[in-house]
Amino acid sequence: MKLAWRIVGLLVGAVFVFAGLTKIVDFQPFRFLDPMDFARDIDNYKILPWGICVALALYLPWLEVICGIALIFRRWYSGALTILFALLVVFIGASIAAKTRGIDITCGCFGHLSNQLSFAWHLALDFAIVAAVVALWWKRPDDRLATNP
Amino acid sequence: MNLPTKALLGALFLCISTGAHAQLAWEKTELEINPAPGADSAVATFKYENKGTTPINIKAVRTSCGCTTAALKKNDVAPGEKGEIVATLKTGDRVGQQVKTVTVETDDLKSPQTILTLKANIVQLLELQPVFVSWTANEDPKPKTIVAKAGKGVTIKSLEVTSSTPEFTTKVEPGSTAGEFKIIVQPKETGHQATANLTIKPDKSAGEGKVFNASARVMPASS
Amino acid sequence: MRPLLRQSVLLLGLALLPAAVQALYFRDRISWESRIAESDMVSVDLARSWGTDAVWIDARPDVDFERDHVPEAILLNEDRWNELLPQFLQQRWSPEKKIVVYCSAESCNLAGDVARRLREEAKLPNQIRVLKGGWEEWLKTRK
Repeated sequence: MKLAWRIVGLLVGAVFVFAGLTKIVDFQPFRFLDPMDFARDIDNYKILPWGICVALALYLPWLEVICGIALIFRRWYSGALTILFALLVVFIGASIAAKTRGIDITCGCFGHLSNQLSFAWHLALDFAIVAAVVALWWKRPDDRLATNP
Repeated sequence: MNLPTKALLGALFLCISTGAHAQLAWEKTELEINPAPGADSAVATFKYENKGTTPINIKAVRTSCGCTTAALKKNDVAPGEKGEIVATLKTGDRVGQQVKTVTVETDDLKSPQTILTLKANIVQLLELQPVFVSWTANEDPKPKTIVAKAGKGVTIKSLEVTSSTPEFTTKVEPGSTAGEFKIIVQPKETGHQATANLTIKPDKSAGEGKVFNASARVMPASS
Repeated sequence: MRPLLRQSVLLLGLALLPAAVQALYFRDRISWESRIAESDMVSVDLARSWGTDAVWIDARPDVDFERDHVPEAILLNEDRWNELLPQFLQQRWSPEKKIVVYCSAESCNLAGDVARRLREEAKLPNQIRVLKGGWEEWLKTRK
C-alpha cells in the first residue's frame, strides 16, 4: 500500500514539474519562454495590477517545479503539499471569479499544450489533481509532523 | 494556512477552464500559425459548436488591431450547429511573433465574452541588421557593414545592392553562413551631408520582386 | 505546526532563486510598469514640453493617420515599415532628437512594437519613448 502512495506522490510531483516547465521553456525548438507573454496571460483576467502579473509570471512556474521536485524526492513533503493545495484552491476560486464575470479564457495550465484538451477533460484533470493532493496529505508519513513546539 | 494572501492571489494563472458550462464550445481558443516566408497574410480558423439546447447569437466580433480582420459567416448558431471564425492577419512588414486577439461577444449568459488568440510567427524573406548606417560630419569615412540574412527556410543565392546616389559605394560579400551576406557601405567623404537609399534585391529564387531598403547618411555638421 | 511552516517557507524561498535568475536573464524584455515591454513611456505634458527637440511618430494604420494626427508627426507603421522607415531615416531623423512614438490609446501595442524595432533594427541612439495614453491622451490636451 505504501508503494502505491509513493507512486501517486511521484506522479503528482511529476505533473507539477511538467506544468511548471511548460511555462518556462519551449521544447521544440528548445528555448526559454519570455515571461512577459505569461504575464500578459495573467493580466488578461484583469484582476491583478500589471506589476504583480510580472512577478507571478516569473515566480509561480518555479514554485510549481520546486514543489513538484519536493514531492518526487519526498523532501519537505508536507510543506510542498500545503503550497500545492493552496495554489489549486486559489485557482478554483479564480476560475469561479472569471466565470461570474463572463470571461471565457482558456488559459495555459500546461502551457500551450492545454489547448489540446477539451474543457471537460481539463476540469476532470484538475479535480483529480486536487483529490490526489488531498489524499497524499492524508497519507503523509507521520514522522514529518512530529508534534514539537 | 500560513501563507500570505498575496501569494495565494498570485496563483491565478493555473486556471480551471470554466468552458465546460458554456454552451458555445470552441475547439481551440489559441492558434499558432507559421505562414510561409514573405506571405501576405496569416490565417487562422477558430471552430465553434453550440453544445447547448438554445440558440446563441454572436453579437460582435472585435479584433485587437486594424491589421487583423475576423470573418463570421452568420451570427446565429442553432443548437448543435457548428461554425467558424476566420481571423486574417495582414503581415505587412511585420517580423517575429505577432500576437493578436479576437474578442467574440455573444448572448450566452454563461460566457458572454470569449477571447481568441492568434499567434503568427512571421518570417521575412530578408533580415537586415542594422537597417541604417550613418557617419557624423568629418568622421573618418570608414566602411560600415550591414548584415543581410535570409529568413529561416528561405534560400537566397545573391543580393544586388544599388545606392540612390554615387556619394556612397556599396559592395556585397558573402557572410559567414549560407544565405548570409555582408553589405559594405562607404561614403566618398564626410565633409558634407549626404543621404542615400540603398535598394537591396534578393535573387529570384527567394520569390518575386520583393525589394528591401536600407539607409545611409552622412550627417550635417551639428547645429 | 513548526516543521510545516519551516518547510513551506523554505520552498517558497527556494523558488525565488531561479525566478530571480530568470528575471535577470530577461531583464531587457521585462517591464514592470506596462504591458509594453522595454519601452519607456513619456507623459503627454512632458513630451509636449520638448517642443522641437522631439520628433513624433504615429504608429497607427494609414487610415487613422490620414483622418487626424499630431501636427508634424510622421507616419511609421508596421504595415508599410519597409517603405516608411527609410523615409523617416533619410528625411526627418537626426541623432540628437528625442523620439516620441504614439498609437491610439494606452492599451494598444503598436507604438511599443515600432519603438522596439527602431532600437533593434535601426540601432538608433536616440531616446525613444512611447506616449503614455497615446493619441486619446494627446487629444485631451489639444488646444
